[in-house]
Formats: sequence, C-alpha cells, structure tokens
Amino acid sequence: MIFLIVLLAVVLLLAGFEMLLVLGVPALAYKEIFYAKLPDPAIVQKIVGGIDHTTLLAIPFFIFAANLMGAGQIAAQLVNVVKALVGHTRGGIGHVVVGGSMAFGSVSGSAPATVAAMGRMVYPEMRRAGYSDKFSLGLLVASAETSLLIPPSITLIVYGWMTGTSISQLFAGGLAVGIVLGLAFALFVWLEAGKGGVTREPRLPWSERLCAIWQAKWALGMPVIILGGIYSGIITPTEAAAVSVVYAIVIEAVILRSLTWKDLFAITERSAINTAIIFVLLAMGGLISFFVTLAQVPNGIIGMLDQVDAGWITFLMVANVCFFIAGMFIDPNSAMLILVPPLFPVAQSLGIDPVHFGMIVTLNISLGMITPPFGLDIFVASSTLGKPVAQIIAGVWPFVVVNILVLLLITYVPQISLFVPKLIFG
Amino acid sequence: QEFVAKIGHLESTAQSRHVHLEKVAELVKERTEGAVELQIFPQGQLGNQRQMNEGVQLGTIEGTVAPAAFLGGFNPAVSILDIPYLIPEDAAEAQALRDGPFGQALLATFADKGMVALTLWPNGKKQFSSNKPLDDLAAFADQKFRVMDSSILLEQFNALGASAIALPFGELYTSLQTGVVDGEENPLDTIKNMKFYEVQENVVISDHGAMEDVVLFNPMFWESLPVEYQDVIKGAFTEVIPELTAHKAAAVEEALQVIKDSGTNVRVAGPEERAELRELTWGPASEAYVAMAGDTGKALLAAYEEATAK
Amino acid sequence: MPLLTLLRKVERTILVVLFLTMVALFFGSVLMREFGGTMASRFAWIEEAVRLMNLFLVFLALGLALERGKHVGITNLRDKLPEGARRWLLRGIDTVGLLFSLYVAWLGVQMVQFVLKSGQTSPTLGIPMGLIYLAPVIGFLLLALRYGLSLFGLIDRFTAQEAAE
Ligand code: NA
Ligand code: NA
Repeated sequence: MIFLIVLLAVVLLLAGFEMLLVLGVPALAYKEIFYAKLPDPAIVQKIVGGIDHTTLLAIPFFIFAANLMGAGQIAAQLVNVVKALVGHTRGGIGHVVVGGSMAFGSVSGSAPATVAAMGRMVYPEMRRAGYSDKFSLGLLVASAETSLLIPPSITLIVYGWMTGTSISQLFAGGLAVGIVLGLAFALFVWLEAGKGGVTREPRLPWSERLCAIWQAKWALGMPVIILGGIYSGIITPTEAAAVSVVYAIVIEAVILRSLTWKDLFAITERSAINTAIIFVLLAMGGLISFFVTLAQVPNGIIGMLDQVDAGWITFLMVANVCFFIAGMFIDPNSAMLILVPPLFPVAQSLGIDPVHFGMIVTLNISLGMITPPFGLDIFVASSTLGKPVAQIIAGVWPFVVVNILVLLLITYVPQISLFVPKLIFG
Repeated sequence: QEFVAKIGHLESTAQSRHVHLEKVAELVKERTEGAVELQIFPQGQLGNQRQMNEGVQLGTIEGTVAPAAFLGGFNPAVSILDIPYLIPEDAAEAQALRDGPFGQALLATFADKGMVALTLWPNGKKQFSSNKPLDDLAAFADQKFRVMDSSILLEQFNALGASAIALPFGELYTSLQTGVVDGEENPLDTIKNMKFYEVQENVVISDHGAMEDVVLFNPMFWESLPVEYQDVIKGAFTEVIPELTAHKAAAVEEALQVIKDSGTNVRVAGPEERAELRELTWGPASEAYVAMAGDTGKALLAAYEEATAK
Repeated sequence: MPLLTLLRKVERTILVVLFLTMVALFFGSVLMREFGGTMASRFAWIEEAVRLMNLFLVFLALGLALERGKHVGITNLRDKLPEGARRWLLRGIDTVGLLFSLYVAWLGVQMVQFVLKSGQTSPTLGIPMGLIYLAPVIGFLLLALRYGLSLFGLIDRFTAQEAAE
C-alpha cells in the first residue's frame, strides 16, 4: 500500500503536476487508507500548522526586500562594490556568493531567506562573469546551507534543547563546520573558474574602488543595518527582515527615486506570490510530517540497530542515511524533531560527543534543504529567479555530492567539530 | 490492544513531564493487560501547544499535557493559574489546593470546552533572570522581559514598571545574548535546559509563577473507554504526582548547581520581597483575569479565596 | 470577463495592503521596544497579528500564482509530449487540482465551524481562532476557481508564464 502511494507521488511528479498536488494528493490518499478514523478537517489543521510559526516570517520579508533591491539600485551597487574589490581574483564573484551567503546566512539563520536575498543580487552577475547557468544556480542554492551552521542558528538551539547540549559549544562547533563547508564550496568555485569561460575583471586602482564604495553608500547601509542591528541587540533576525524592507523602500523610492510607487505596488504583489508558492509547499510538508510522525518509523530502525549490535561507525552511517532519506521527502526541521529523540540516546551509549552528533545532525538538516524532490531552497530559487525546478536540480547535484563528502569528513573526523569548542571551553 | 491514545507534549525526553508520561503509559499498559496503549510524542512533534489543544478537541490526537499558560485561549478560566503566587509555596498545601474544591472546580471548567481535564500536574515555579541587576524589585523598572502570550503576565511586568516583550521561544536564547531583551521568566530547569544561563548574568529565585500542567483528553475517546480503564488511567496520572514532584525538585536542584557553577549571580528573594511582589501584582493581575474570564473567573477566584482562607 | 478582472484587482489590492501592513507593524514594534519604554507591553499583540496576516497572505495568493503559471512543478516531461497527449494531461492536472482544492476548502469550512463553536480565541488579540481557518478556505476556493477556469479553457495558465512577469 505504502508502495502504491509513493508510486502515485512519483507519477504526479513526473507528469508535471504542481508540486502542491504532488505532495497533497498522496497525503490525502494515505490519510484515507491508514487513518480513516482520524477526523478529516485535521488535514486543514496540519496544513495551516506547517506555516504558523513566527520564525518563518523572515522568509517573506527577505524575499520582499530582495525583490525591492533587485528591481531598484541597491543590489547593483552592492555588486559593484564587491566586483571592484575582488572581481580580478580567480573565482571572483563565485567566492562572493559563498562568502555573502555565509555572512547573510549567519544572521538570518534561514537558508530559504538566504537564497531569496542573495539570488536576485548575485545570480545575474555570475552569469555575466561566465559561470554556467547550472553552476550558478547550484552554488547559490548550496551556499545558503551554511546559514544553519554558522551562529546564531535556531537549528542548533533546538538541538541543544532536545539533547541538553551546551548551545555555546554547539555554536562554536557550528562555526567551524560551517566554515569547512564554505571552504569546500569555495574550492569547488576555484576549480570551476580554472576551466575557462569564466572571465576576470581588470584589477582596479584603490581610487576607483573607493569611488565604487562611495557610490554605493546608501546600498551599504543595508548590510550595516541587518548585521549591525542583530549583533548589537536592537533587533531579532525576523525583525531585521522587516526593517530591511522599510530601508529598501525608503532608499529606492524616496532617496534614489529608482522605483515609482507603481513599481512598489507590483513588487509587493510579486513578493506575496513568491511567498505563497514556497509556503504552500511548507504547508503540505506539515501534513506529510504529521503522518511520518504518527507512523513511528524511527522506533523500527532503532530495533534493527539493537539486533545487529552496531558500533559507532555503523550507527553514524545508518543515522546519516536516515536523515538523508527523510530530508529528501519532508521538511528537514521536522525530520530533526522526529529522528533526534530515538537516535540521540543510542549515540550517547556509543560514546559519541553530543556536540559532534549535533554537527552531523545540523549538516544533514542543511543538506535536506537542497535535496530533491522536497528541497525548499530549490523551490525558493525557482520561485524568486523564475527558473524551472528541473534546471536547478541539474545544477544542485554536484553540490550535493560535495556536501556528502564534507558530511563524511565531519562524521568520521570528530576533531573538526570539537576543535573550536575545546579551544574555547577547555 | 483495544485502545491507542496518541499523547503529545512540548518537553524534551529528559524532562520531568516526559519521564512521567512514559511511566504512566507503562502503568496503564500493565494494569489493563495491554488493552490501552498511550503513545507519547514529545517536544512538539505533533505541533505546537495550540495545535495540540485543538487536536484534542477535534480528535486528531487523544490527549495532551498542556501548560496552563497555553490554555487561556481555549478556556479563559484556567488563566487564574497565571496570577503570581496563586499556588502556595508549601508542596502539601499546594497539593491540597489541587485536590480540593478549587482544583476540582477548575478542572470542571473544561467540560463545556470540548476537553476532559483529568488532573493538574505540578511542573515547578518560575524565576526571573536578566542581564541587568535584579537586586530588588525597584531594579525591574525599565528592563525588557520576554513573556508568553498572556495578558495577565503582561500586567505582572507592568506592575513592576518593566516592559513585557512577546518573542518566539526559539529566538529567545539569541535575543538574550545580543540584548534584544534583558531578561525572561522560567523555571530553573528550563533556564538550564535552554541554556539561558549561558547568556544571563543574574537570576532571582522568587518562585512567583506556578507552572501547572493540565492533563487533557478528547471527550469521545474518553467516553469510549470502559469505566475501569478510565479509573486505571486517572489513577496512574494522580499516583505519579509525588514522584513527579520529587523528580522536578531534583532537576531544579541540579539546575541551580549548574547555573551557579557557570558564574551566574543567583539571589534568593526573601519572604518580605515575595510578599511585596505579591502585593504589587495581585490586584492588576486578578483584574486582568476577571476581565478575561468573566463570571466563571469570579466564581473560581471566590473558590480560591475560600480554600486559602483557612 | 469583467468579473474576473474585478476579482484580480481585489486580490492584488488585499495582498499589497496586507504585506505592507505586516512590514509596518513589525517595524513599529521595534520602534516601540527601543523608544516606547513600558508602552512596548501594549504592543505585544503585533507578533501574533503579523503571523495571522501572513497566513492570509499565503493562501490568498494561491489563485493568482496558479493563473500566472508560477507554482513550481517539474514540467520537462510534460512539455515533451505530443500536442494531443499533452492537452489531455493538462486537463487531467486541472481536474485533479480542481477536486483537490474544493475538497480542502470544504474541510476548511468544517474546521472553521468546529473551532468557532469551541470558542477558542487567540491569546493576545482575543479574536475567534476559527477565523484563521478562513484563510485556507478562501485560498483554496480561489485556487479551485483558477483550476476550473483553466479546465474549461477560459484562462490559459500554461503559456501565461512569461507575459505576467
Ligand atoms: Na545562522
Ligand atoms: Na530535501
């Protein structure tokens, strides 16, 4: 029966049904077959429940801000500054995507928000610099993953609460692992840039660089407000998203006069539609996660592990596979809520450091954001850049491979996760 | 098994509520010879508390153990528990209040809300923490505290001249770290589990807010159980209360040690300070309560005063 | 169809007003916290209000998104089919979409009724919580309308993609 339902989902997916139907229709079928007695209106409750979280609000606001900056001048000015500073290096704008996503992602803490905000700024520039469409899309989507690792990170906070692990130590570990992942992507960019086709800008004298910075003075206020506002404790990341919209409106419409009020209306509307497209999938994801929770799948896996008397090496492999498969089909944050409670005690009994296990879990959660078919970051890129999902998937898979390699490295070399926490906390 | 109940709650698996829910599930399974299975879903796997409450009414899930603070929207009468210093400090007196006419009247207010309220579970007392000094009550003025969504708790901070700020729980750690808010209120074991002490300078042990859990079941499910099974379940929930209280006390004790060891400044508020805090907050908080809960609220407040007058 | 044009205008206006209000409220609550002193406590409802408004924003935009061909899906294979087969497939998608949306909207109506009857109110605003389930009801009805119009050939949502951007 389960097989038939999965088959139904695959058929709908390949036949080109809207993703909301691909997720929703099999979920309804599953409900009617396995939980016939469950009251039907619960479906609507779970759909709404999937998106009724304050912390998700950063996504619509950052989409809105990114659309404003992209249509106006802020994005172009910021890109000019970056180009003036590093455009002449091998990889240039590619490294900027990685570094920018790490910086923006660190504070926003939301991978989808990072894709939305970075995408409209850097994607056109990557194409102009000669990176292929696939590589540009893949890099953009994958780099955003670092936002869950580099502190502050709600994912790490939730893990810390679930397992009783020190959040400061998790943050320290997350910083190291996030940088390792970023470096892996940067190395990939460096290799790609060496293949030819990717052009370099001429090296500019400092007078011209300063000129570019001066011209972008209003635009540079944006990162200052977001990063400065959060680290100085004036605003939360979610509020920073809303504040960035206000700043973008003031700068573009009032000071630079690059957008008319009519433009503003159209951009607001488009941002609302971008938001809806992503959130309706999160909503359907809420429904599916509910049924996965009810099925209590992890208990079966733990039983199996008990029987074969697995050691830590096997256990971590099984854990990674569980997370990978779950991350393909459900919202990775829900996967964490479902999988950590049964897996963590086993990890502890095998002597695995809780901070190390937290890094493995969080890296898996990040990976789940970019794995098809249910890869939220893929959908965000598709919606905000207007690119077909299949094209983005084609670009993303080499990065999934890089990511898996990093995951294996982090899994089997615990020192990477524990080095920084040990340095700071002894 | 003949009856399966999905029971959801918000705590993590090491916390008192979950540990004792598992214990209740075990007792019930044993005493009904496996006929009734309680499946426990921790840490909001089945949704946030609002969705779980609604799920219990709807029959999506069979039960939940809900902090009273998350039930005000469903049954305003229960918000009486948000009033500072409502539950007596002495554990035996507190339990007598729960078992007595006041406690029973409180549980009965759920009857017409589409939920069967089985019993109250004690879940500790709230304390204040902040990055600014909390040397006396005057020090609270102009500080920003994060509160749960409750108009009574807003009044509590207003009475102290502090601002009450609504923030999602998940963003609280970072907000305390960066200084978006100065402080918060929670039981010590929550302050330990959420690692708030890592980002807070001062803690005042004031025991001002009771954290009471309400054990709730779906009426249809509850009615479908034979009376003997109902008795077994109810018995198991009440039977573990002393053990739950002891477990909680041990957790709080351990948390206190961890918090002190971290270098956080911990101060115990004396009886005069507590009396003063109660004096300051009782009026506005109970007025806000009656404004919310109307005549049912007035009656409960009267029942409370009668029960505590002795 | 003047009615449809009017509907679009209403949808678009509501979306824009909602979204800008959400931004203004969040911005306002930051200002209140920084400069408003204890007045900030009076604005604790903003978080809840913005969260609820976002629900309406999301669901109310579903129909417009479909009409403009914006919903994500993997359309490569579908678009490679011969014209006749493709047309039948598209009708199939529209039919499934129409039935699905109507069914979810109908379940939503039951949810609205159930929660309104239970008397649940929102914790800080005190508004009846049943109203939040109006968001999926209206949203999926607007979605059903577009699936229906597309099924009967009254709108062309499959080639509208570029024109709307
Ligand atoms: Na982050
Ligand atoms: Na995925």
